[in-house]
Amino acid sequence: MIYSIKQEFFKLYHKKMFWLAPIIMLVLMIFTGYAIGSDEARLTAVMCYDATDWITFILIVIGATSFSMEYQNNAILTLLYKASNKIYVYLSKYLVLLVYDIFLHLVAVGYTIVLKGFLFKSNISWTSINYYHQPLWVNTLQATLLDLAVSMLIITIIFLLSCLINSNAVVMTTSLLVVLLGESISSDIMSKPKLVSVLKWNPFNMLNLSRQYGNYATYHLTTHLSNVELLMGTLIYIAVFFVIGYWIFRKKRF
Amino acid sequence: MKNSQEVLELDNVCTYIGRTEIVKDASFQIKAGDIIGLIGPNGAGKTTVMKTILGLTKFTGKITMSGAAITENNHHALEKVGALIEHPAIYPFLTGEQNLELYSHHHQDMVKIISELGMDSYIKSKAKGYSLGMKQKLGIAIALLNNPKLVILDEPMNGLDIEATIGVRKLIKKYADRGTAFLISSHILSELQKVMTRVLLISGGKIILNQSIGQFEAISHQKYKLTTENDEQAEHLFKTKGINFKKQKQYLIVGQEDIFKIQDELAKKKLHLKEMLPIEANFEQIVVDTLNKERD
Ligand SMILES: Nc1ncnc2c1ncn2[C@@H]1O[C@H](COP(=O)(O)OP(=O)(O)OP(=O)(O)O)[C@@H](O)[C@H]1O
Ligand SMILES: [Mg+2]
Repeated sequence: MIYSIKQEFFKLYHKKMFWLAPIIMLVLMIFTGYAIGSDEARLTAVMCYDATDWITFILIVIGATSFSMEYQNNAILTLLYKASNKIYVYLSKYLVLLVYDIFLHLVAVGYTIVLKGFLFKSNISWTSINYYHQPLWVNTLQATLLDLAVSMLIITIIFLLSCLINSNAVVMTTSLLVVLLGESISSDIMSKPKLVSVLKWNPFNMLNLSRQYGNYATYHLTTHLSNVELLMGTLIYIAVFFVIGYWIFRKKRF
Repeated sequence: MKNSQEVLELDNVCTYIGRTEIVKDASFQIKAGDIIGLIGPNGAGKTTVMKTILGLTKFTGKITMSGAAITENNHHALEKVGALIEHPAIYPFLTGEQNLELYSHHHQDMVKIISELGMDSYIKSKAKGYSLGMKQKLGIAIALLNNPKLVILDEPMNGLDIEATIGVRKLIKKYADRGTAFLISSHILSELQKVMTRVLLISGGKIILNQSIGQFEAISHQKYKLTTENDEQAEHLFKTKGINFKKQKQYLIVGQEDIFKIQDELAKKKLHLKEMLPIEANFEQIVVDTLNKERD
């Protein structure tokens, strides 16, 4: 198992995207900082200058290739026979992406501190009280953790899709659509007022968690769930989709 | 240093893909130092047999590696198995060396294999730019890493030029002399004829023949083709003496068992042989002959 994880890391850090991602992220964060300006300084700091969205895109690209590179390079058979159990192949890929996800979030927070301190100076200090009667730094930390949960949900979905569909282009497109349209799909699903009480628990709704945290009033109208409820839902869906994804992977013939 | 230590054993193995039975009741053993040629036409089930041994398919029956069972969900017994199945498993964004490092436990060993396969000149460049043969060699190198007891190679000579083919053959022999067992598939009989110690013929998912190369060559060379100074006269002679023959182009085809009698009779009639050569039976012919014999 540890050996499989090492192999996955080896492959990951030899990919160009691995090193490019933090650079692309910085550029996009600076761009966001300038585009939004100082009016929304609080929100941009909490959301790490939209780094959370950029991380999602990076993870979709890397996550979608995680399995498809094995199919396309005929490595899946080698991986499977060398692993003492199929679960290790699946789990090690998942854990490595989790670690990379955490790494990207840490980088994002780091960039945010630097950008706020030097480039986008504002009179809102880290200790000033903001959302939910908490200091800004707590907000940023909580938003980052919540986004970590959402991005893991997205990775779980990507893995599930990768095991259903062999083409990484299709997996990438589908995942992007899910992420970009998730919110509107979700509100469409809930358009029948009577069923809202059940349908508000649909998985697409959970993708709004980190956005709702930074903008509760607007998002709560569409999600109909509190932050805590969204977090619970996210964690449960991670578990459910992980199990389904692995089950499909297990059944799959190569 | 050959010994008869058993490495792999298959007992009544049937492989299923969906509900279809692909490999039908296969039983055979591989001993240390054996080079087994798994020979059969396209779609015969060679790759499937190999995948089954590697615990990658649903199967019934028993597969053991040095006594330990291999199942679909337990691959511990496969630790000392190296394999190249269908196409080499190579990541194009890594260099050849990094592709090996991914699996290698002993650096020195890896360096030795690289030079044995003559890959030194390009091993440090990205595998993206490798030719078919270069990739194939890298795939073989991966299978040879970590001192395996058994190496499974699926059509290893694909894409290799003559020089490389000879090189790989030599390397296989060298490893086999040290006790490594090989299971190598091919749909071309002659490709492996020079290395293998045993032949497994597979057709329609059934192992139809399992013989040492010595026994096998006796069958495959059992026909001779000959011409004489006067074939009409020879034909007449064969008929009267009850010697079976067939006409094929300018040759008369006869069985090995009649060779001495033919030479005697021709000598008596002062008919000189112009040419007499053993015919290497082609694969299809051997399969047909073997199946016919089974039916008798
Ligand atoms: N995934 C699959 N689904 C259904 N049938 C399959 C599958 N894989 C193989 N088969 C069938 O199993 C049989 C054996 O296939 P296999 O790939 O083992 O043949 P092979 O001897 O390796 O052929 P080749 O020389 O072409 O590589 C074929 O008849 C093929 O149709
Ligand atoms: Mg094959």
